Amino acid sequence: MLSYILRRIVSTLPVMAIVALFVFSLLYIAPGDPAVVIAGDQASPEDVERIRQSLGLDRPFLIQFGSWVWRILHGDLGTSIFTNLPVSTMIGQRLGPTLSLMMVTLLLTIVVAVPLGVVAAWKAGSFIDRAIMAFAVFGFSLPVFVVGYVLAYVFALELEWLPVQGYTPLTEGFWPWLQNLILPAVALGCVYIALIARITRATMLEVLQQDYIRTARAKGLGQGGILFVHALKNAAVPIVTVIGIGIALLIGGAVVTESVFAIPGLGRLTIDAILRRDYPVIQGIVLLFSFVYVLVNLMIDVTYTIVDPRIRY
Amino acid sequence: MDRRTVLKGLAGAGGLALSGGLSAPAIAQGASARTLRFVPQANLANFDPIWGTQYVVRNAAALVWDTLYGIDSSLVPQRQMVESEQVSDDGTIWTFKLRPGLKFHDGEPVRSKDVVASLTRWAARDPMGLMITALQQELTAVDDRTFKWVLKQPFPKILYALGKNNSPCAFIMPERIAQTDPFKQIGEYVGSGPMKFAKGEWVPGAKAVFEKFADYAPRQEKASWLAGGKQMLVDRIEWIVMPDAATAAAALQNGEIDWWENPIADLVPVLKNNKNISVDIGDPLGNIGSFRMNFLYPPFNDVRARRAVLMAMSQEDYMRSIVGDDNSLWKPLPGFFTPDTPLYSEMGGEILKGKRDLDAAKKLLAESGYSGQPVTCLVAQDQPITKAMGDVTADLLKKLGMNVDFVATDWGTVGSRRALKTPPGQGGWNMFHTWHAGADCTNPAPYTAIRANGDKAWFGWPTSPNTEKEVSSWFEAKNLDEEKAAIGRLNKAALDDVVYAPTGFFLSYTAWRKNISGIAKGPLPFFWGVSKSA
Repeated sequence: MLSYILRRIVSTLPVMAIVALFVFSLLYIAPGDPAVVIAGDQASPEDVERIRQSLGLDRPFLIQFGSWVWRILHGDLGTSIFTNLPVSTMIGQRLGPTLSLMMVTLLLTIVVAVPLGVVAAWKAGSFIDRAIMAFAVFGFSLPVFVVGYVLAYVFALELEWLPVQGYTPLTEGFWPWLQNLILPAVALGCVYIALIARITRATMLEVLQQDYIRTARAKGLGQGGILFVHALKNAAVPIVTVIGIGIALLIGGAVVTESVFAIPGLGRLTIDAILRRDYPVIQGIVLLFSFVYVLVNLMIDVTYTIVDPRIRY
Repeated sequence: MDRRTVLKGLAGAGGLALSGGLSAPAIAQGASARTLRFVPQANLANFDPIWGTQYVVRNAAALVWDTLYGIDSSLVPQRQMVESEQVSDDGTIWTFKLRPGLKFHDGEPVRSKDVVASLTRWAARDPMGLMITALQQELTAVDDRTFKWVLKQPFPKILYALGKNNSPCAFIMPERIAQTDPFKQIGEYVGSGPMKFAKGEWVPGAKAVFEKFADYAPRQEKASWLAGGKQMLVDRIEWIVMPDAATAAAALQNGEIDWWENPIADLVPVLKNNKNISVDIGDPLGNIGSFRMNFLYPPFNDVRARRAVLMAMSQEDYMRSIVGDDNSLWKPLPGFFTPDTPLYSEMGGEILKGKRDLDAAKKLLAESGYSGQPVTCLVAQDQPITKAMGDVTADLLKKLGMNVDFVATDWGTVGSRRALKTPPGQGGWNMFHTWHAGADCTNPAPYTAIRANGDKAWFGWPTSPNTEKEVSSWFEAKNLDEEKAAIGRLNKAALDDVVYAPTGFFLSYTAWRKNISGIAKGPLPFFWGVSKSA
């Protein structure tokens, strides 16, 4: 297993290299110029050009790419054109909020979606099943920002139970941390709850038809034991796969959610950097996200071996 | 590794998080009442007011750095860091003396050498600074509190230049920081203004924090814009960046923020209906909408084509697309200068007044030789103001019978593409939309967009010798009457040649919780004199 994990980690290197080249090339040919943004609206073309020179943006593509790769190889993601801060520092500042949001969303998703899917499968064809699946359709259909606004209106403005926006680090207390994340996590989680509930239902329906389930019933095992121990365990592989994909998709979803709830996370940093053409920040974040995608896939593969002992690498 | 091991690990991690989190303290109530939570107009992405000249940078910088002079609400420069000044009879030698007791945030006194270095860096980036540099013989520190500026010929607007609120302002920094190349960003944020920048709490794009500077020595006069005593009545100001307007509105209603600089027009009725919120015009100098036509290529290299557009355009259409039905938020503008300011003029503005004559405009356009070639119109869709104006322009040009190549893009792309002098079909352009802060349009000194010196002019590169002649007349004017006369002629010349197309004058609101008092109307948010009750 360990050698498999090591092999997979090593195999990420060429993937990351291709991503790096792709991202750098794309940004190089994309329209827009950070020097224009820095110089401001009243700046003369000469001022803009001098700023471009001072940032090294007037150098040939290969030289810019070479020096960037050289820095990356030394563990240096570069310095933000705008803030003059190291990209790693900026990413570090934003990592906590995004990880917190993803963690709470994921937890909420699993805790809600899996039981919903199991119950829907158990009560297949009933009113409960149809209600759960109707909820799932809503979850898929409603954009995150619409859910976010509605939640903020009801629970923050009308009921005054939770804050509208912001983020409080965990170091300042568990409840302050959590109360800022509840609404964004619910908004962001809706679509994933819907997705995972549907997958769980479909997989469980198949498993519940198996002979060993019938045997378990015949032996007098309780419904809970049958559903959550015998059936769910055997339905877990596709569910884990979808949860893994969901983690990767959460990164994209976080961009909108962080903007709606003013959470200072990586999603907002990405948008800001793109709008301003802050190339080092965009490159650093894309590399990080690519690495996370690869890592999540690896974790899914490892998780398979835990939920299904028959799988070995 | 098996399932039980994983579950145990997860439970342990959760327990650790819980045990670590429950003991943390909450913010005390008193501290909350001394902290002003402010949502700025834009993201404070950098913090060098000379290197980056965006308004949001200037607004934050005005807290941290002080200026030698400050423009007051009458647009007159008043002494700020300066105690006194003397000018030679021929107007070429200026000797300034600093106030005693001025200190930087690092505890060092403000010395003349800091002023000399700061003015040198500022002058390299500021249009008025460049003009002074062109006339400069020497700028020297005489002693720790005295410095001298010797010019080859008089520059009557020198005090205005040192106190103006247009970006870049002549902020005074310690010499070691001011010696940074003006085209490179500073790394230290040490000033002598009323607030210190808490760099450790800065999350660019999300939050910036300013703390009261205990050793700040405010002037004794009443505060007025950048002039007078900058008395800070709160200990801490948090700038919270909110990219989403609806979220900012909800946060203000909920009491999570105290002051929102620029609420969008759509949400103002909601805020006005809230009994805990005050809404008023933020900046009485407002903004001037504009679109610029490229003088280098047909059809707008012919003044008749430019005048045809002006004859046909309705400023009301443009303004309503920006502010909606609120008539108190806009005015027609038959000229280029900010309404209700001393130099405002409508001379030559007939072309923008009265009923629009589309037929006459079409005839004039035909006389210019326009024969259906595409007109490349750049419109930034991520800026609500430019998007709204762009849609109106596209409709206008179509009514005139023009073939519109509508380029819907983002502001970053417009910013770089408008700098291209290549023909429109090869990456260049014919028109783009923008707007100018009214504070920048009160006179020609900071007004880059009114200049018409061809290749050296702002994007569009207008050439209008008469306009340039009157700009010089204003700089040489010796009194207000002469200034007014020069501006009248300038306004006419710029309209005759259509240096750019003014789409109207518009205002915007600012909103704050009613437990906040002392908010002054002005071209930037002034925090001195602002207090917060519990």
